[in-house]
Order: sequence, then structure tokens, then C-alpha cells
Amino acid sequence: MSEYTKPLPYPTIESEPFWEGCKRRELLLPQCRQCRGYWFPPGSTCPHCWSTEWDWTKASGRGRIHSFGVYHRAYHPGFEGEIPYVFAVIQLDEGPRMVSNVVNESPDKLECDQPVEVVFEDVTEDVTLYKFMPAA
Amino acid sequence: MSNLLGKYAIAGVGHSKLGKVPEMGPIGMFAVAARNAIADAGLTKADVDGLITRGPDDVYCHHQRVGEALGLNVTYSTSTDNGGASQVLGVAMACMAIDAGLCNTAVVGFGRDTWSRTHRTEAARKRVNIGIQNQGEFGPEFGWFGAPSNYAVSARRHMKLYGTTKEQLGHIAVAFREHASRNPNAFFQKPLTIEEYLGARMIVDPLCLYDCSIYIDGAAAVVVTSAERAKDLKNPPAYIMGFGFGNRLSGWFEESNMLTTGAKEAGEAAYRMAGIGPDDVDTAQLYDCFTQMVLLQLEDYGFCGKGEGGPFAASGALRLGGRLPTNTSGGQLSEGHTEGMLQIVEGVRQVRHEHGPDRQVKDAEIALVSGHGGNTACQSAMILARDAS
Repeated sequence: MSEYTKPLPYPTIESEPFWEGCKRRELLLPQCRQCRGYWFPPGSTCPHCWSTEWDWTKASGRGRIHSFGVYHRAYHPGFEGEIPYVFAVIQLDEGPRMVSNVVNESPDKLECDQPVEVVFEDVTEDVTLYKFMPAA
Repeated sequence: MSNLLGKYAIAGVGHSKLGKVPEMGPIGMFAVAARNAIADAGLTKADVDGLITRGPDDVYCHHQRVGEALGLNVTYSTSTDNGGASQVLGVAMACMAIDAGLCNTAVVGFGRDTWSRTHRTEAARKRVNIGIQNQGEFGPEFGWFGAPSNYAVSARRHMKLYGTTKEQLGHIAVAFREHASRNPNAFFQKPLTIEEYLGARMIVDPLCLYDCSIYIDGAAAVVVTSAERAKDLKNPPAYIMGFGFGNRLSGWFEESNMLTTGAKEAGEAAYRMAGIGPDDVDTAQLYDCFTQMVLLQLEDYGFCGKGEGGPFAASGALRLGGRLPTNTSGGQLSEGHTEGMLQIVEGVRQVRHEHGPDRQVKDAEIALVSGHGGNTACQSAMILARDAS
């Protein structure tokens, strides 16, 4: 693998299990035992009902593009060869929204509310990123 | 707390040199702005017993550094941390502190050397970019960097739901640039055409170069004191008739927050305190980090309905002589970005009728001034008036 030059995530004590899940090809979300709600980004308290009783649950990996933008300027040298690239706010079927990239599609074919599904990309030996592509 | 309607006023305004100010740091510029604001009020250093500040995020206890530069000991002082919503918040905090008997005359200001930080050298520019963005998760690893992304997704969603067009956004940039052409302090003074706007390079599509505000070096400050005292000072007071806040802290991506912002709650509270509505506002000085944020605020402050911001802007309403002359200094899109502090200064100057006929909103009685920031969650609004009743 050639040297990876883009920023890597700096996990926190609360997000480490999420990133471990990505390595196993699992998109994990915290789910509350009390109200059954999901949330993202990870945190130790359910933002819906404030319960601290919850589990990591494997999400479907399906969702929709809530909105997206196309970078025409590289704010980091690691992305200089990538522009234009798409970033998006993904509305997961489970409810939470997350920032990611939409890959395997030309930017001008994308639309808000378009269905997408998760794909995983091993970018280094230790880090796997979650990305999305148009649903089959 | 008692109703503060008309009890307090902005008695003086000032700013440093604006634009490219490589010879001075942010604290130094702040000191100059504060000195100018105090002089504008006809007051002296001995009159100041409150100081509320904001500057670069990396300066710890910013108000102490500013107070040190000014040689000031005061009773009430703090630094604020609501991003661009901090400056209107600071004025409101000053009113509340004076009302509680904690001080009598407060300086509120902002200063930052943003142009120099990011342009002094190419290496400095890269260092700033990478330094800010290389730590964290759920963003930078996907190439999601900073503010333009947030307003780009808001704009695209707005376009999808309401049919807003790029050209409608462009009318915001063009109107403010036209105002800047009448402002000798503005960073950009050359008028912009809608064709030039539509042909500009994309930054984060759908936002292009002219959708983004311009970082400058600069500081501005205002002096807040009681209306009673302000009446007898050097310049006519700008009476503070109302203020309000909306903080949608759950985040920009949650619920419908990227389409309806905390400006809705901020505006409702400010109008309620002032006993007015959006139709009573003669001029708006809105926080314009990006054109899209202006569009949202036009709707959230009730100047038009939700989803109607695009046609409203394209109607020419925002121009001097239009229905709601907005950002009559050129705003942050063209005069320069000082986190909203210059919007407060311009609101005061408009209700004082200080400008010449080319820039003065005719018979301006009431100005709405807004602030926005803090990871896009925080909104603040203030109503200024020429008369206290």
C-alpha cells in the first residue's frame, strides 16, 4: 500500500468501538436500551432520553443522501489529486445522519434523497473508513 | 429582570484599520478599535468599567490580554465563545450586567488578524489549514473541511426543497458588493455583475468564490451604557430595543436545522422585547459568512416566508433603495469578515443617520443586527433604534 496522505480519524474513548466495527465491515451505532433510539456521533449518554444504558448495534448500512457538496478546492494536500470530490450528509435508515463520501458515481448524477449503501475502504493497516455508494 | 426595552444604548463605535494590517496583531487592533469607540462616545478610559471581548480561538482569557493592552482594571469582564454570534451576545451581556449593577459602561469588541494568518506566507497558509483540520474524526478523513461545507449542504437542500437557484444566491453577493463600492474601507469595492458571479470558480459546489466572505485583519468595538447617560454624550445614541438568541445546539445536521436556524427563535425574542415585527425594520445588518446564511436569515427573521429567500433576494429588496436595504457597508462578503462586529457598527451608523446620501438608508429608524456562529448552532439578534420609544 502506498503512503496514505489524507487525514486519519483521531478516535476518542467513546468512538473507538465504532472504528473497530468498520474494520470488521460493520457500521455500528449506539442504540438506547430504554427508548430504542439511535444516535451519531458516538457518546456515552442517549441524547433522546439521557439514559446511559445502551448497546452498539449493527446498522443496516442503508440510507439516503440528505445533501451533498462537491469540493473544487483542496484544503489539505492529501486531497489535491481528488478534486472534484463529493462529500455528503447521509441520512441513515435508523435515523442518525453522518458525514461521509459518496463514491462510484459522477458528482453530476447525484441527487438529494437518493438511496445509498455503505462500503468500507481499508485506507491503512489500522484504519477502515465507511463510505457510501448509490444503492443497487 | 425588568424589561430592558430602550434602557441601554450604544454610545460609541470604532474600528481599527481594516483589510491587510500586517504591522499589527489582533490585540493591538482591538486596542485601537476600543480607543476609537470610547472617543466616539466622548468618554475616557476612566469611564470604562466593563470589557467583553472575543478574538482568535487560540488566545486564552482573551479579555485579560485586551485589558492589559489598554491598561484597564474593570469590574465586569469576560471573553465569549459563541463564534460569530458572540458579538451581539456581548452587547446583550453588557446591558444585563449594567442592569444588575455590575458595571456602568462596557466596551464590547472583536479583533482578529485573519488575513495575515492565512496569507503572510504560503507556508503559514498551509500550516493554518492543516493545523485546524488534521485532528478529530467524522469529517477531515472524508475531506470535509470547515465552514463552506456546512453552507453548501444547506444551499443544496434548500434548492431541492424550494427550487432556490444559484442566480438568486448571486443577487445577495451582487447587492452587498454594490454597497461596498460606496464604502472606502471595504476590502472589495469593484462592483460585481451577476454574470461574473455565475462564472466564478467553485469552492464547494454549489458555493462559488463570491458566496464566501473575505477574511481580513481588523477589529471593531462599541461602547454600551445606559440610555440616560448616552443621551448627553457626544453622538446620538443607538437605543437597544431588544435582543434574542437561538442556539440549536443539537447540530447543523440534525432535524431541519440546516434550513430553519436558531435565528427564528432569536428574532422572535428580539421582536417581542422591542414590541415590533419584521415589517418595522428599516435596514438589516445580517451575519453573512456565506450568501446561503443570508438567505436563511431573511426567512427566519420573517422578512419573507420559508423557502422564499431566493425570490426575495432576486427582487432587489436588499439593495439601498430596496424594501430592506441589507448589509449597507458591504458586509462580510465584501467589506470584510470581523465576526459580525462591523455589522453592529453599521447598524449604529445607520440609525444615527451618519452616512452621506449614497449610503444612508433614508429615514432609518430601526435596524436589525444579527450574529451567527459556534459550529453553525448559535444565533443572536438585536434591534437598534434612533428613538427610545
